[in-house]
Parts: sequence; C-alpha cells; structure tokens
Amino acid sequence: MSIWPDEKVLTPGEAEFDTVDMTINIGPQHPATHGVFRMILRVDGEVVVDCEPYIGYLHRGLEKLTEANDYRQAMGYWDRTDYLAGMACEHAYVMAVEALAQIDVPERAEYIRVIMAELSRINSHFLFLGAFGADVGSFGTSFIYAWRERERIYDLFEEVAGDRMFPTYMRVGGVAMDLPDNFEQRCRWLLGSIRQGIEDLDGLLTGNEIFVERCRNLAPMTSERAIALGITGPILRSTGLPWDLRKAEPYSVYDRMKFDIPWRPDLQGDVFDRFWMRLSEMYQSARIIEQCLEQMPKGGLVLNPDLPKTLRVDNGEAYIRYEGTKGEYGVYAMSKGGNKPYRMKLRSPSFCNLSALREMVIGSYVADAIIILGSLDIVLGEVDK
Amino acid sequence: MTEAAPYVYVPDFGAEAERLTPIELPVTKAVYKVALPGVLQVGADTLLAISRKSSLWPMTFGLACCAIEMMGTFMSNHDLDRFGIVPWPSPRQSDVMIVSGTVTKKMAPAIKLLYEQMPNPKYVISMGACATNGGPYTEYDRVLQGVDKIIPVDVYVPGCPPRPEALLDGFLALQRKIMEDKRMVG
Amino acid sequence: MSNKAPARSGGLPPAARQRPRADLAALVRKIGSIPFEVSETRTDVDVRIAPEHLLALVDALHNRHELAFDYLRNISGVDQSPEGMELKYHFYSFKTGYSLQVTVPTATGHPHVPSLTGHYPAADWHEREAAEMFGFVFDGHPNLRNLLLEEDIHIHPLLKAHPLQAAEILQGIESGPPGFTI
Repeated sequence: MSIWPDEKVLTPGEAEFDTVDMTINIGPQHPATHGVFRMILRVDGEVVVDCEPYIGYLHRGLEKLTEANDYRQAMGYWDRTDYLAGMACEHAYVMAVEALAQIDVPERAEYIRVIMAELSRINSHFLFLGAFGADVGSFGTSFIYAWRERERIYDLFEEVAGDRMFPTYMRVGGVAMDLPDNFEQRCRWLLGSIRQGIEDLDGLLTGNEIFVERCRNLAPMTSERAIALGITGPILRSTGLPWDLRKAEPYSVYDRMKFDIPWRPDLQGDVFDRFWMRLSEMYQSARIIEQCLEQMPKGGLVLNPDLPKTLRVDNGEAYIRYEGTKGEYGVYAMSKGGNKPYRMKLRSPSFCNLSALREMVIGSYVADAIIILGSLDIVLGEVDK
Repeated sequence: MTEAAPYVYVPDFGAEAERLTPIELPVTKAVYKVALPGVLQVGADTLLAISRKSSLWPMTFGLACCAIEMMGTFMSNHDLDRFGIVPWPSPRQSDVMIVSGTVTKKMAPAIKLLYEQMPNPKYVISMGACATNGGPYTEYDRVLQGVDKIIPVDVYVPGCPPRPEALLDGFLALQRKIMEDKRMVG
Repeated sequence: MSNKAPARSGGLPPAARQRPRADLAALVRKIGSIPFEVSETRTDVDVRIAPEHLLALVDALHNRHELAFDYLRNISGVDQSPEGMELKYHFYSFKTGYSLQVTVPTATGHPHVPSLTGHYPAADWHEREAAEMFGFVFDGHPNLRNLLLEEDIHIHPLLKAHPLQAAEILQGIESGPPGFTI
C-alpha cells in the first residue's frame, strides 16, 4: 500500500520505466574462465537473457600439424590437447594409430596404459574439484587441497615416465619403458593418499550448506536433450543415463575390470549432480588401478618387438572412441600410405559440451553463469584444438 | 644469651659487570649510526629496487598448459608466496605479467591491451617454449611466433612446460635484473 | 611387412572385434530407395552417399525403429584434392549400440551440403568448424560464422593447399631486435 495518494503501486516483475539490457564481456583473460574463453552476456538486471560464447583463442593447429609430422612425432601435439590429463590423450592417439596399422600390444603394456590413463583421469578431476570449489566461493582452500594430491601424482609420473605432464610415454605398440621396481608399493601408497585427498575435498564441499544451496537445481538437463546436443562424459551420466564408453564400447583391458558407474535415483543433471558424479568417479578409477596392479603380468615385453624403424601404414580409416576425462574423446584417423597421417580429427568432448552452454545459462544469474561454466569442466586445449 | 647475628642479604653478581657493559660502537661518518643503531642506510635507488623485487605481483594470465605449471608454482609444494609473489587477477594492480602458453593471433590484441593496462614499472616473463618463439606450434600460421613480437619481454623461461623450479628460477633472475636496473627510472 | 599381425583383427579394441558389423550392413541396405554404397573401415560400417540424398538417409537413420541413430558423434571434413572434399559423419544409437560412418563426397568447386541442425542440434558447432576449416557451405545452417578463427578472416587452414609458415631459425640478440614480421 502506498502512503502517497497518486503513487502507482507496482506488482513484482513490472517496471515503471524502460530498461535496456546491459552487455557484459567476460573476456579472454578472467580468473574464472578456466583458460582463454570469452563470453558476452546480455543481462537484464542480474538475470542472463542471452549468452554468446567465443572460442578459438587457443587454436594452435593440432590437425594441420599432425598431417605434417609422422606418426611418432605427432603424439606430442595430441597430449597437449587435454593438458590436464596428458597420458589419457596419448592413449587415445596410439590406439587410433594401432587400429589403422593393425599392430598388437603386449598385455603388460595394456595394463600399464590403463594405470597411467586412470591416474590422469584422477589428476584432471582433482583440478576440477579444486577449481570448481574456487568458483563457488571457497576461494583458494579447495584449490590448494587439490594440488597436494596432484603434485604426488606428478611425482609418480616423473618416476615412471620421465616428465610430469606430457611424458610421451605411450608408443605405437606399447609403452616406452617398463615400470620401476618399487612401482607397486609406490602406487598403493599413492592410492591411499588419493583416497584421503578425495575425502578431504568431499568433506570441504559436499556437505557445505552454501555449496549445496548454490548448486542444487541449477541448470538441470534431461538425458534426451543431452544426447541430442552431443554431450557425453560425466555430464551425460549425471542426467541419469549410466553410459560410459569403458563399459559400452570397451577397449584395452577394461572389459576385465570390475567398476561401477555412479548412479542415484534422484539424478537430475544439475550442477551439483555433475560435481557429485566426478567425485564418485574418482573412487572408481582408484578401484580400477588396484585391479590392474593385481592382474598385471609380472614380466614380459612392454613394446611390440616387430615394429619397423619407420612406421608405414596402408590405406584405411578408423574412428576410435575413447572415454576421456571430459567425455567421448574421439580420434578419426585416415591414412593413404606413407609415414604421415593423411587426416586425423579430434572429436573433443569439451567442444561439444561447450556448445550447450548457451541454453544452460539463459535464465540464471551472472554468478550462476560462472558456476555453470565451471561445472562443464572444459579445457581450452581440447576446445580450440 | 647470644644474639643471633641479623641476616644481611648480600647479593653476589659474580662477573656480571663486565658482561653488561655496552658494546663499543665504531666511530663512523654517519651520525645516526651511532645515535640510532638499528637503521639501514642505502641509496634511494637500491631501496626502490629491493622493494620492487620483493613484492612482485603477477597477473594471472594462463593461456594453455604452462598455466597449470604456473598454478603449481603458486601452490604449497613450490610456494611462490614466500618470495612476496601473490597472484593477482587484475592488470591494473599487478607488476609482472607471466605469459604462459601459446599466443595465437586471435589473442594478440587482448595481450597488448592487458600490457597497456598495467602500470609502470612492469615486467614480462615469457614462460614456456610457445611464448618464447611459438614452441611446437610455430609452423601453424595462426600462431604468433613468440610474444616478444608484440610486447617487450624481460625473462624467458624455457621448457615445455617448464618445471615449477624453472619458473622460480625465472623469478629469481627477474629479481636480479631488477637489482641491476636500479638506476632506471619508470 | 612385419608390423601386420597375422590375424586381420590385430590392434583393434575388443568391442570392435565382437560387434556384428554384418548385421548393421544388412539393416542399412534394407533402407532402399536411396543410392548408396556400403563398405567397412577398420572400426565401422561406412555408407557413401551423395549430398542431395543425405537428408533422406538421415531421416531414415533417425526415425526407423531398428536403426534409431539418435547421437551424432562427429563431423570431419577431409580434403581429397584434386577429386574434391569429403565429409565424414559418425552416428551412434543408444538403443541398439550400433555405430555408423557416413561419407559424403562433394565435387571440387561446389562444396554445398545440407545442414543436419534440424535433426541433430549437436551438428551446429561441428558444421561451423568444418565450414571455416575447409570451405564447406551448409545449406540451412542458422549461424554459419567463423568459430575458431577470427570473424573477418576468410581462410581455410586445413586444405592441403594452405601452407604452413616457416619457423624462425635465428633468434636472439645476434639477429637483431624482435620485430613484427607478418
């Protein structure tokens, strides 16, 4: 009720003057965009009305440079695509070349590859937990917790493969060298430390009331819409559809591993469910690594001994679908003879997940738009190729 | 009846008198070194250089994979905070820009704008092979062959990606450079 | 050559060895009424079809119950100069588990292909990328602007005719101050 006799009383949602939507540029350099990503938001007050993502600030020519180098040199470009999980990308690349060239891999090498790929997946998910916690508001605590475990995983990679992030350890036909002697005991210690690290982050974030209130019911998505948009990976699994390429189209030795796809009956594909899905997947990855350590043959070759010095591949094409850390990391390879690939295309999961950003963000607040972008867990090396 | 001798308290300080004499101050030219012995005397340019190098605030400008190793250097394991280096997102309040990652021609105008937004004195560390000369991606024509084509660079840190200790070494080299340039104005 | 395993299935993931590709090839051949050729790649069944029949094929793939390809995985362009360019589409069906590759060759100088954004919203960004990298024109696409390259640049980097730039061999103070040579 108004105390002034001729004042008009407004109902909620009604404005008494004309407003103009404001355009905000969340520019390529921003602490919260996880890389060089730019979005232009049109906001009405605080509510996002339209969103236009701009990518390509890290377009480095993966595919063109792969055509210019031979099969062994090109691997150095592919592991820098998903730079949080280098060895997982190398694994996908060597699987594509082996499918083209019809090369077998010794069994011990398969198990070593799976261990390295799963450790890379855990590595990437730790960074997601840290960065997502920082986006939602824990500002630095979750980030530092996450890095403690990442440094330990990097130390193990350095002992085994020689480099922290991009060791080019995988080779066409196996891996470059065998594991060191104390690997099993080091790996079991590391898994214990990883489990402790996940519990720390879990305790910091999952039960936190502010975190839950901010993330629940934010940008829910149905499985049908996710499939139509081409979304895969933890986001698709968080909509309630338990589809994982390691179970649906298994490769390497995953058909011998027992692991679950995390699922709850009330999954609705919102931001909290995506966070929960990645957190739970890390426990399953640790389980896979333990089974690999037990089942691995205790000796034997780690590289196919019949490989020629220069790898020449006959005509053919292959499409390898790999469960990367962000979703379906597909490698389409075509060869026309010779020692250089004719065409290799990366079907990058972050590229496809990011194309759905616009419809997730419209209707939410600006601060929530940042969290939604964080929950997509994109890595710009993959998006921009 | 004998009277007990009254107890007289006589403290014994031993050789304390020699221990507690004040030190001999050398006679110097500066008067305040005698009068105020805790004061450091340096020239103003050295003082400015020491304060600039001890509190370098880098703008977090992570472009690609080197950004991950840069973040690792800021974290607890290879702590950069102990050198006074605090990552700061805004260019208007930072001293050094760490260009970490591949610079593409699409990103170059943004880098130039950010460099111009930083106030003097400002420094640039080019981290990684890509920012130095294009790195592994140098042959692709959308990639700028080194960030020194558009902004002046003070320290180059090689590596792909450089280890956190290497970036730390780069910062220490920048500190030495600041001390050498101490008579520079601006 | 010694790098070929004795069996033809060497090097392939176990799922590709077990999946009955002959079943899928038979199902696809039953579509009829559209001229296409069915062949096999190392990992998939490939259907080669001309651009003008593409929408009819995609209708059949999307709507028929026994095929039900609801997920467009990937669209790649391939530069097959001098014969022209090709597009490779990869589909997957969640219901049946089948995976299919469709090849669409286009002639040199006429790279027009109908857009699949009506059936699969996922095709949006894939088609934009193929258009800017190769020069395809997707008829019916709502927003065919550059995605990875700058807005005002019209080059097609992934064509075989597009050159790489030379790496600078001499750098450092001996060769002069750093300058911008574009």
